[in-house]
Amino acid sequence: MMRFLRKAAVIARRDFLATVFTPAFLMFLLAPLFMLAFATVGGTGARMIADSGDESRTIVVIADAPLAAQLDAEDSRMRALFPEPVAPPPIEIRTPGRDPGAQARALIENESIEIVAVLFGGVDDPHILFAPDGERSANYLGALFENTVEAERAASFGGAIAVPERETIQRSAATISGRQATGFTALFVLFLLTLLLAGQTVSVLAEEKGNKVIEILAAAVPLETVFFGKLFGLFGVALLFVSFWGGIIAFGLSLMPDTGAALAALDPAIGFGPFLALAIVYFGMGYLLLGAVFLAVGAQATSMREIQMLSLPITFFQMAMFGFASAAAAAPGSALATAAELFPFSSPFAMAARGATDPALWPHAAAIAWQILWVSITIAIGARLFRKGVLKSGPSFFRSIGKYLRCGRGSKSA
Amino acid sequence: MQPAPALSANGLVKYFGDKRAVDHVDILVPQGSIYGILGPNGAGKTTTLRMLLGIIDPDEGHRELLGTARPRSVGDRVGYLPEERGLYPGMKAREAIAFMGALRGLDWKTGRERADVMLEAAGLGASAYEKIKKLSKGMAQFVQLLGSIVHRPDLIVLDEPFSGLDPVNQGRLEDIILAERDRGATVLFSTHIMGHAERLCDRLAIIAGGKRRYEGSVDEARATLPMQAHYEPREDGGALAAKLPADAVRDNGGYRFAVPEGGMEALLQQLLDSGHGIAGLSLERPSLHDVFVALVGEETVERMEADSDAEQSA
Ligand SMILES: Nc1ncnc2c1ncn2[C@@H]1O[C@H](COP(=O)(O)OP(=O)(O)OP(=O)(O)O)[C@@H](O)[C@H]1O
Ligand SMILES: [Mg+2]
Repeated sequence: MMRFLRKAAVIARRDFLATVFTPAFLMFLLAPLFMLAFATVGGTGARMIADSGDESRTIVVIADAPLAAQLDAEDSRMRALFPEPVAPPPIEIRTPGRDPGAQARALIENESIEIVAVLFGGVDDPHILFAPDGERSANYLGALFENTVEAERAASFGGAIAVPERETIQRSAATISGRQATGFTALFVLFLLTLLLAGQTVSVLAEEKGNKVIEILAAAVPLETVFFGKLFGLFGVALLFVSFWGGIIAFGLSLMPDTGAALAALDPAIGFGPFLALAIVYFGMGYLLLGAVFLAVGAQATSMREIQMLSLPITFFQMAMFGFASAAAAAPGSALATAAELFPFSSPFAMAARGATDPALWPHAAAIAWQILWVSITIAIGARLFRKGVLKSGPSFFRSIGKYLRCGRGSKSA
Repeated sequence: MQPAPALSANGLVKYFGDKRAVDHVDILVPQGSIYGILGPNGAGKTTTLRMLLGIIDPDEGHRELLGTARPRSVGDRVGYLPEERGLYPGMKAREAIAFMGALRGLDWKTGRERADVMLEAAGLGASAYEKIKKLSKGMAQFVQLLGSIVHRPDLIVLDEPFSGLDPVNQGRLEDIILAERDRGATVLFSTHIMGHAERLCDRLAIIAGGKRRYEGSVDEARATLPMQAHYEPREDGGALAAKLPADAVRDNGGYRFAVPEGGMEALLQQLLDSGHGIAGLSLERPSLHDVFVALVGEETVERMEADSDAEQSA
């Protein structure tokens, strides 16, 4: 085992250094900058997308019918002042119960609807309760209230205007939408990174086949070690990439105000720290699983042309796994979710999403063991196919497929 | 007691599709010897070596390497120079040697140190820090050769090590092979250049068409053919050819033929009696070339030598 790891490390080291110390790697590392540049150019669009998240939010007014009607009318008037994309969340009217304060608190803490601010207490004792991310909505409610009451006082000549008392409350639990958003964000980021990075492994053996080093490697160490080493060499490159941009993003976030509050709203079910750790582990597992498949398939290719042809089915495979896992994330606990968590190649994505909504830790340990098993199985199969096909211990993989197809067609036409 | 052979193989068979590329080849390489595998292009030399090393598995037959039937398990004690040369073009020469050593379990530091010494000895000291892509083909090949022996293996397998080298480097390579043998290593190499085999090998095997045609020492190989006589008559007459053995051919103003089974005496007596006389007579041991011709046919040998001529002049 030690020997295996040492030799895998020799190969991984070579691949890592050969990849990182090239001008092309700098291009690769900085590629996201191009994306950022375009995002800045399209900044307005981006903001619109960000704001559209508000559509799921609501603000609530707890008031008796007459006041409610006035507020509603004033809301219609004021709302007309805002352009559509930046309009405040829609207002819902509720009739007051026995304890409007408690009622308001319950509304904000409700997990299933995202209510960010509540106005209650009527004309004489107005209060605004709002969630940390609902400050703007609270401002809007305040202005709405003052305008409404002022208009009325002006009509009836006299009296002071009560200013609403504002209070912010921390949500004790994350909202469902927050959690699902965490799940989807994690899934999306994982998918994107894996898609970008694991696809590289498809051509990794092409180099050795081109410059004939493959026979040195194959003679000196078992092919499984070669595959494993190459996979980890590229994984190192991927990790470098991810930590570079992860570091930049973390630094950027720490400079922004309100990060804490925003993160609290997204609090995943198993806790933020474990979730982050799991996301990293699952990123690794997803990379290794898909990378092993692509490496094995790419190893069968005999030319760059074949490798290029392979990139399409590979992208489809990744999309399929993503679709599968995101369908699972949308329906936590369903049979579909279980299937996606069990199927090895969607498992890392599905399990990462599960971490957002399910507090149990043990399924993750089981899933990681399961995924490691599949990384090994994939590498073993890939190495065996490679030995048979490329080192010509037997007929080539694609050729046998071709032969099979031809024979199949031949027998049909006969 | 006879030491265990470094390498032995019985009845190796390898099919590529329906074609039998290697057909029941037996090989036995004694420890500490230099062993050559000779054969024309496509004879199955490379395939045989790959099977012996466990890079590919034989379809039939059995092989044993350094005392084990699982050649891969003793990989760290084996050095191999493949026929298709290849190194990472971006690596520096000494790194490439250390890398190949590391693949065989040698630590990097020792590998680099030995690389410096070996490159110096091979006259490549100035290129130690050059990238492989900056070296000439022959230099790169030499670097690869050094890389395949840097871990001081017990068994060294070289596939066509001489091809692509100029005569100076061929000489250097011969010295290295002899030095490795003196260190205690067993060397197995394939070639189609007879000169090297003749000079270096303790034993050799001749393979053609996937079959082993001969196995034994160079002297034994020669002994499979009778001595060759070259006879110059004093009086060349019309009846002379009839008196000589059937295989006699005109050569250099005389005749060349194999020494007859019973010896030369009877024939010489006859020639003297008939008045043809003896202007010149020499008896020669058959060359490896002749042995080859007898074993694998004129045409094959000519092809092989054409190949090696092309190599030499290349
Ligand atoms: N990978 C392969 N796929 C199919 N056939 C092969 C393969 N490798 C070798 N062969 C066939 O096997 C036979 C023996 O090939 P091999 O390479 O062992 O010959 P060789 O003696 O090394 O020849 P050379 O002197 O040209 O190197 C040849 O006829 C060749 O066509
Ligand atoms: Mg060959």
